[in-house]
Amino acid sequence: MSVAAQSIGDQVVIDPALVRLDFPIFETWESERKFHYLDNAATTHKPTRVIDALTHSYTQCYGPIHRGLYPLAEQATSNFESARRTLQQFIGATSPEELVFTKSATEAINMVASGWLKPRLHSGDVVWVSRMEHHSNYLPWQRVCKERQAELRIIELTEDGQLDLSGTPELFADNTKLIAVSHISNVLGIENPVAALCSAAREQGIPVLIDAAQSVSHLDLDVAEMGCDFLAFSAHKMFGPTGIGLLYGREERLSGMEPLLVGGGMVDRVGEDSAASQWSGIPARFEAGSPDMPGAVAFAAAADYLVSLNRESVRRHVASLTQLAARGLMTIPGVSLLPHAQLPRNGIVSFTHRELHPHDLAQVAGERGVAIRAGHHCAQPLLSYLGHSATARASFSVYNDEADVQALIEAIMSAQEMFGG
Amino acid sequence: MMAQGVYKEKLLEHYRQPMNRCDGAIEAADAIERGSNPRCGDEVEVGIFLSEGGLDKVQFRGRGCAVCIASASMMTEAVTGMRVDQALRLCEQMHTWFDAQDDAATFTLPESLQALGAVREHPARRKCVLLSWEALAAAIAGAAA
Repeated sequence: MSVAAQSIGDQVVIDPALVRLDFPIFETWESERKFHYLDNAATTHKPTRVIDALTHSYTQCYGPIHRGLYPLAEQATSNFESARRTLQQFIGATSPEELVFTKSATEAINMVASGWLKPRLHSGDVVWVSRMEHHSNYLPWQRVCKERQAELRIIELTEDGQLDLSGTPELFADNTKLIAVSHISNVLGIENPVAALCSAAREQGIPVLIDAAQSVSHLDLDVAEMGCDFLAFSAHKMFGPTGIGLLYGREERLSGMEPLLVGGGMVDRVGEDSAASQWSGIPARFEAGSPDMPGAVAFAAAADYLVSLNRESVRRHVASLTQLAARGLMTIPGVSLLPHAQLPRNGIVSFTHRELHPHDLAQVAGERGVAIRAGHHCAQPLLSYLGHSATARASFSVYNDEADVQALIEAIMSAQEMFGG
Repeated sequence: MMAQGVYKEKLLEHYRQPMNRCDGAIEAADAIERGSNPRCGDEVEVGIFLSEGGLDKVQFRGRGCAVCIASASMMTEAVTGMRVDQALRLCEQMHTWFDAQDDAATFTLPESLQALGAVREHPARRKCVLLSWEALAAAIAGAAA
C-alpha cells in the first residue's frame, strides 16, 4: 500500500498532499502558487512510477515482442504479457486473452462496432445507446447502423438525469443487437446502473458494451460483477500513458470478432487469396503491427498505482470532493448544475452561469491557476437535449483536495465580479 | 476588480456595451452572413451597409463569450469607413496575426484592436476572436457576388 494511503480505524484514507508528491507535474507548475488541476475527466497526470516504467522499458528492456529469439526480446515480450495479466486482475477478467491493447477507448469501441457488430447487423435490427454518451460511444454505432440499414435508438434520461430504463421497454426486444452505455457520464458525472442493465440484457442474450473511460480511475471495476460483454477504457485517464487503451471482451465474443486492422503479428498463415489466410487467436488477432510495449508496461504500472492507493479509498475521496464542489457551486447566485437535481456525482460536475459564458468562466479560472474545461465535452446529443451548447466542467482525482474545491468556487465568484463590471 | 490576463478593461467595455450590436434582426443590409462555432455554440451574424465601395455601416448580432462579443464590437468600429478591399485585407491580417507563432509577422494590431492582443496567447480562443471577422469577410464576398 502507498504511504499516501493510511488506515484510520477500519477505513483506508488517502492523503492528497502525499499523493501530490507522486506526481512531478505539480512541482513543475507550483513554483509560485498551488496548481488546481480540475480537468481530470479530460486526462490525468502521471505518477513517477508510470514515468519510470516507460523510461525503464526504453532504457533497460526494449526490443521487438512476440518475435525475437534473443534474451532482450524475450524479456520485452514477457513484460508486455505480464502487463496484460496485471490489467486482467485489475478488471477481474477471467483470462488475459480477453484483453486487447488498443490505442484508445475510442479505437476499442470502433473495433467492436466494425469487427463484432457489423457482420451481425441487418436491416430492421436496433442498437441502443444512451442520451449521455460521449461521441466515441455514439458515432461508431451511428455509422455501422447507417451502413447496415439498422436503427440507432436512444435511451432517454429521466428529469434527474438517470437512464430512463423503465420508460424504454423495447430495450430488450428481440431485434436489439447491442446496447452501449457509459459507466459514468463525462458531462453529468452520473453513474449508470450497469450491472442491472447487463443482467437484464443477458437474460435476453443481448450483448452490452460499457464505456468505462470515466469510471476506471476511481471506481473498482470488475467485469465479472458487472456482467458486461465488452468494456473499453484508456490509460491516460487513469494515470497511465497517452496513446494506449484497452478493450475487454468476453472470450466467446472476441472469438467471433473480425480484426479492424490486418497486417503483421495477427495472422498465422497468409494464403494467395484472402480466404486461405488464417488469423491468429485472440488477442493477437486484434493487435496488428508492433504493439506499444512500453505503453502497456506503464499502463500496468498505473493500475498497480491505483491499487496501492486502495480503490475504495479513491472512490470515497473523489466522490466526497465532487459533492463538496457541487454544494459549493450551488451557493453561487446564477450558477446551475447539470442536471438540476442534487444527485450523487462521481468525479464530475458540470455547470453553467446565467450570464457568463463557460469559456469566460474557464479562462478566468485558468488565470487563477484553476484548470477546468469548457465546451460541449464531445457530447453534443446530450447538450442539445439539455438545451445548452456548452458548459463548464470540473472533475476530480486522487491528488485534489478541499483547497482545490475552494479555489474553484473563488474563481467562479471572481469571474462574476469581473464581468459584472 | 482590475481586469487581468485576457480581459483587458477595453475588452470588457466592448463586452458590456457592444458597439453596433442589434438586439433584433439586422435590417436593410446589403449583405448578411453568419458564423458559428459548434464547439461552444457561439453564433454571430454580421451585416454590412455599402456606400460607394466603402463600408458605410457594419452591424452584428449574436451570442458568445466575452472575447467573441468584444471582438465583433471592435471589428465593427475598426472597419466602418474602410473600402471593402481594405476591410478584407484587415480580415486576412487578423488571421495572420493570430496564427503567427512569433513576432516576425509584419502586421501589428491597430490601436483600436489592441485590447485583443492578449488573447493570442490562448490558441483555444482563436475562433472566439475570428468568428465575426470571418462573417464580415463572407458578407463582403456575398455582396460582391
